[in-house]
Amino acid sequence: MPPTETLRAGSGNNDRNVTGSEQTHIIRQSNKCYEHRDSQATAMSVDNSGQWVLLAGRGHLALQRLGQDDGTLRRHERQSKYDVSVAEFAICPSQREYCAIATSQNIDIVQWGPAEPHYKDSLRGHTRTVTDIDWHSKDPNYLVSCSIDTFSHIWDLRDPRKPAQSLNAVCMSGATQVGFNRVSGHLLAAAHDGDLRIWDIRKGSCPTHYITAHLNRVHGINWSHRRETCLATASQDGTVKYFDVRNPRRAEKIITTLSPVWRARYTPIGNGLVSIVVPHMGRGENSLLLWSNSKQTDPICSFVGHTDVILDFAWRPNQENSTEIELVTWSRDRTLRVWKIDDNMLKLCEPSPDEDEEVERASPRYENELSDLSTEFMMRPMTAAASLPITTANLQVGTNTLPMARSPSFGGVYARREETHIARSLTDQPTCSLQHEFSLLNTNMPHVEVDMLCAIKRYACFKICAADHTIILQVTFPTAYPSPNVPPEFQFCQGTTLSSELSSILLKVLRTNAMQRVKKSRSCLEQCLRALVAAMKKRVTDVAGIGTDRSQLLLQSPRLEGALSSALHDACIPFPRTSGVHFNAIGMLTTFAQVLSTKRLTLRQQMQSFTPRTLSVINGSGLLGNVMATTTNQRDPNASFYLQERMIACKRLQGKQRVMRQINGTSPVVHVYDASQLLHINREMARDFVLDKQNIAATCRRNGEICRANGRSDLLPIWLLAELIATPHSPHESMSCELLFYKDPFKKSLLESLIMHYATAGDVQIAVLLACLFDKCPAALMGVMDVAGCRLPTQLHAQRSPYHTVLPRSSSSNWQQLKQLRSNSWSDSLDWVDFKLGQTDAYACSLIRRTKMPLFDQFKRAYADVLFGWQLLSKRALILKHTLHTPAPTQGVEFVTECSGCAKPKRTPKCEPCKRPVLYCILCSLPVRGAANACLSCGHGGHMQHMMKWFERHIVCATGCGCNCLQRTSELLALIS
Amino acid sequence: MVSLLQEIDTEHEDMVHHAALDFYGQLLATCSSDGTIRIFNSRKNNKVLTELKGHQGPVWQVAWAHPKFGSILASCSYDRKVIIWKSTTPRDWTKLYEYSNHDSSVNSVDFAPPEYGLVLACASSDGSISVLTCNTEYGSWDAKKIPNAHTIGVNAISWCPAQAPDPAFDQRVTSRNTAVKRLVSGGCDNLVKVWREDNDRWVDEHHLEAHSDWVRDVAWAPSIGLPRMQIASASQDRHVIIWNSNADLTQWTSTVLHTFDDAVWSISWSTTGNVLAVTGGDNNVSLWKENSEGQWIRINYESGTATQSKQSHHLRNPQQQPQQQPPSNKPVMSDSERSSNLSNSNLSHSQMSN
Repeated sequence: MPPTETLRAGSGNNDRNVTGSEQTHIIRQSNKCYEHRDSQATAMSVDNSGQWVLLAGRGHLALQRLGQDDGTLRRHERQSKYDVSVAEFAICPSQREYCAIATSQNIDIVQWGPAEPHYKDSLRGHTRTVTDIDWHSKDPNYLVSCSIDTFSHIWDLRDPRKPAQSLNAVCMSGATQVGFNRVSGHLLAAAHDGDLRIWDIRKGSCPTHYITAHLNRVHGINWSHRRETCLATASQDGTVKYFDVRNPRRAEKIITTLSPVWRARYTPIGNGLVSIVVPHMGRGENSLLLWSNSKQTDPICSFVGHTDVILDFAWRPNQENSTEIELVTWSRDRTLRVWKIDDNMLKLCEPSPDEDEEVERASPRYENELSDLSTEFMMRPMTAAASLPITTANLQVGTNTLPMARSPSFGGVYARREETHIARSLTDQPTCSLQHEFSLLNTNMPHVEVDMLCAIKRYACFKICAADHTIILQVTFPTAYPSPNVPPEFQFCQGTTLSSELSSILLKVLRTNAMQRVKKSRSCLEQCLRALVAAMKKRVTDVAGIGTDRSQLLLQSPRLEGALSSALHDACIPFPRTSGVHFNAIGMLTTFAQVLSTKRLTLRQQMQSFTPRTLSVINGSGLLGNVMATTTNQRDPNASFYLQERMIACKRLQGKQRVMRQINGTSPVVHVYDASQLLHINREMARDFVLDKQNIAATCRRNGEICRANGRSDLLPIWLLAELIATPHSPHESMSCELLFYKDPFKKSLLESLIMHYATAGDVQIAVLLACLFDKCPAALMGVMDVAGCRLPTQLHAQRSPYHTVLPRSSSSNWQQLKQLRSNSWSDSLDWVDFKLGQTDAYACSLIRRTKMPLFDQFKRAYADVLFGWQLLSKRALILKHTLHTPAPTQGVEFVTECSGCAKPKRTPKCEPCKRPVLYCILCSLPVRGAANACLSCGHGGHMQHMMKWFERHIVCATGCGCNCLQRTSELLALIS
Repeated sequence: MVSLLQEIDTEHEDMVHHAALDFYGQLLATCSSDGTIRIFNSRKNNKVLTELKGHQGPVWQVAWAHPKFGSILASCSYDRKVIIWKSTTPRDWTKLYEYSNHDSSVNSVDFAPPEYGLVLACASSDGSISVLTCNTEYGSWDAKKIPNAHTIGVNAISWCPAQAPDPAFDQRVTSRNTAVKRLVSGGCDNLVKVWREDNDRWVDEHHLEAHSDWVRDVAWAPSIGLPRMQIASASQDRHVIIWNSNADLTQWTSTVLHTFDDAVWSISWSTTGNVLAVTGGDNNVSLWKENSEGQWIRINYESGTATQSKQSHHLRNPQQQPQQQPPSNKPVMSDSERSSNLSNSNLSHSQMSN
């Protein structure tokens, strides 16, 4: 067949208003054509050398050698229910005998030997149909696959058990195309509906760019062979767009055609791009178009000859001339064609010098075209409806005869037009969407077996076994499906075990469901099947006397609609935990673990070695439709534990279930441990420990004994050390030694490092006890002073006050402060600023440096919480008494008295700057130091004792102000609370 | 070292997903795929005290509030609801509040430290985090949502302890920064995020990036007051990572605790913040402790075996737990640290257990 080359002016069939010689384009027919009438191949690939073509279909794999012209196929049978969605030869020369073939959710790696193909590995990781595969162009071990389950997995063939990297697109639509960047291989693009996600595989699993590329589904992605960041996309919306991923906001260039573009690929050499256009309604040709990357207005060349939709094409190096390439195409008309792209054509692709001008001139024309486009889109549904009756009739007569009846014809343009017009009814958009629907169909629906899915013949066969009945259901899809009011036809075939009455009811269910969906132009198959199963069950349960229809799905996602919803929804929810640990506040550990028996669930992912990530792997359908067979005694092997219906079933089968559970040994048992010892805390010790500061040394000894009794003999040396710290080294010497007791730098740092050591090691109990024991907080001060007093030689007592021995820098003001401190409860509510003065000395007499105090107080509070958990409340109070920093401010009513001298509010009984008492008792007229009370209304008050006495007999204020103090105060308090 | 107190057969009709003891260790709450929560007495017998029904889907997690607010339990479920339960007696529970403003499964709940009041944080697969604050006086609940906290979904949440250590140990305690609330969350974007409340808004303070797969659990270590903070995060990528920070939380450094055999999904810190319990897809429970050199060491081996072995043996002590289920490897404690430090309590423990 010699190449015919015709030059035609313009492209009249597209009503383009073109002028000048620039717009002429070449029309070319194929150089070679091989016909494989009986091939059902849906995928095609050419190997690296360009010698072999692989045609892969449902029934067989076939290889054809291109150099030899006999056109015979090396066929190898394969058994599969599902079509091959994509097949790709490896790109790297070192592994050119390998190819990857995707069927349903799995990808087979096949090595072509001299004789039989050898199935090397099966890559299992996707949970829905794999839609595309791409090999890495640099590293022969890598390939990427994408799937309807939204994931793109990168596989390393050296470890085929699991994906080397999983990329999740953050979206609800499945991935349709994927491609490694050809220049570096670091970038990866995947198409999700009209959007692109770009990953840099060096940077982990989050996409680096999002490109909102098209308004409609993207059918093809192809990276530039020259520029690392450039790619071209082909879309249903009839455009091919050039993107630079560094500028994801807008496309660099756009090719607009009138029909959806199925594929667009850069030429491996030269500056061109070839696209496959899927014609609408038989208008236009099933042609390949070669475009120049610099000129988007008109194609350089169109390759004509195919009479049906071109399924795929591939490049092949020209054996004779390395500057030329060849194009291999596979079409639904079952011909394989080879086309030469010669030098001349590639030259035409090179940018012309007046390119910029051209683009400018072209822009208004685009608008025309766009309006054309929109009108055409509007016309479409009508024509589709019109062509409907004929095709449905055809389908009913015999669906399988029609595609076969078509024969590729080369009898001229007119005949070919006719041919494509008929052929169209079986292909193009409706088939695309039907194929799409089939690929989305959850093939693991409980009770439903898929026998046959054929998008070309437009019918599907299912076997449904539920509730003791079997249904063989055949569904045929009219061409116009799913346009409004065109539901599929349902038919129960031979083998169905239903009474005629029941089958008419069920058919009605199917039709109603189908109509509901189809009315909105939505696909309906999965919904119908689910409804059918539910209806079948309901019938049975109705008979059994259980009225409630619990098969209604309670958990349908509001965000998603359509076949995918639940599984995709669950794809974002983590896989449920089968084991857990929990520490509570007092060191008790709860653990549980259950076997996730693989028998119980059919994990669609076969990677048993690794726990799956998402909930959706459980039966692939999440919570929907996982139903325990109510009639069988055994657990349904398909049932997961996420069942709505099972809850009812369980009630009925509870007795049986319990037995089963014990057999399985998977009953959920929770173990409760006391791990407190591991945390070095011990309730018994906490209860027994003493904090007697009268004699610290003795206390240390006693605590040591307690440790020994509780098996913590490791702590004995610590208490011994503490005892040494507490003992003044030379008690018989003069009192200056006694001062050293509190000033001893060695003891101070020893104690501090001991406490810090235990705190960092997590032994908070010992740390806190040591800190408390050597802490001199005001509350314990008196006791300490007594201790000191007792220890002091008697002659010192005679000479000096015991206070002075403790507080060497004592002055008259100190004296007063101390008095205040021990006086009464008023001191507890003292304000910080005033109180700190008093504390200075408390710090000074402590073995613990004051800078460490806040930290140690934190330890004490943490330990106090544990004591609270143990309900050792008095011990807790004792520990908390040793904290200085009580951060919780007092809540409730508080008196603030105002100094009569400086008119500033004071919380102390005395105003320091004015040196005068702030509150005088209204009864005895003396200043109040201790407990005071006052009326909230009139503000008069005084000594607590006096006030109480007064109000025993009176109800009005003692000053005679007329205030009804008791009543007013109680009213105010009620108001506050 | 660790004694088994009780073995409770929960008799849930389906898989249990979480079990938690209350503050005092008296009540045990378990939640399951059967949509119920069961309350047990952890000390006495195996009888279930009560069963809480209210969720319409698997219940993923339960959390107890601090007892100062009463006996309050929060649960989250696949049915997108968070329910807060309150009891008067252990058998008598009522629904206190139901929050259903999430668009997808709620995967994790955690009560804030009691210093902040009754506050609950919820993490959902819709990608958002909710912070529910109870006005205890009026019993009303106020919800604040952090939208799009993690793309795809949030899997885990944990509160920062309230006692933020005082950075300078300034004894003038006038302005303590304890009021700053912080959260840590882990999500499907492989990130661990630290959130800070800033004038009624939650801002993400840090993105901690080291995991290569979904983060399944996060836990902020309780603090006894030491000037450091630790967060543990467990991921599908089989790593548990310990994030360390100084007191002012400006920088986080990561240490990989261990690479496990399977995905890890549940971690819990002890009260003292020095022991971490981990479990995952392989159903083994391991306990980890940091030694004085800063290395993390597994401590539930049998005595003497594998001091610092990176391989995970799953040894069981038949004398201690003969009744244990085969798959669930229970912690058998022996301190494996061999530190020659003076007065090292760890050392003393290993002596003790021998």
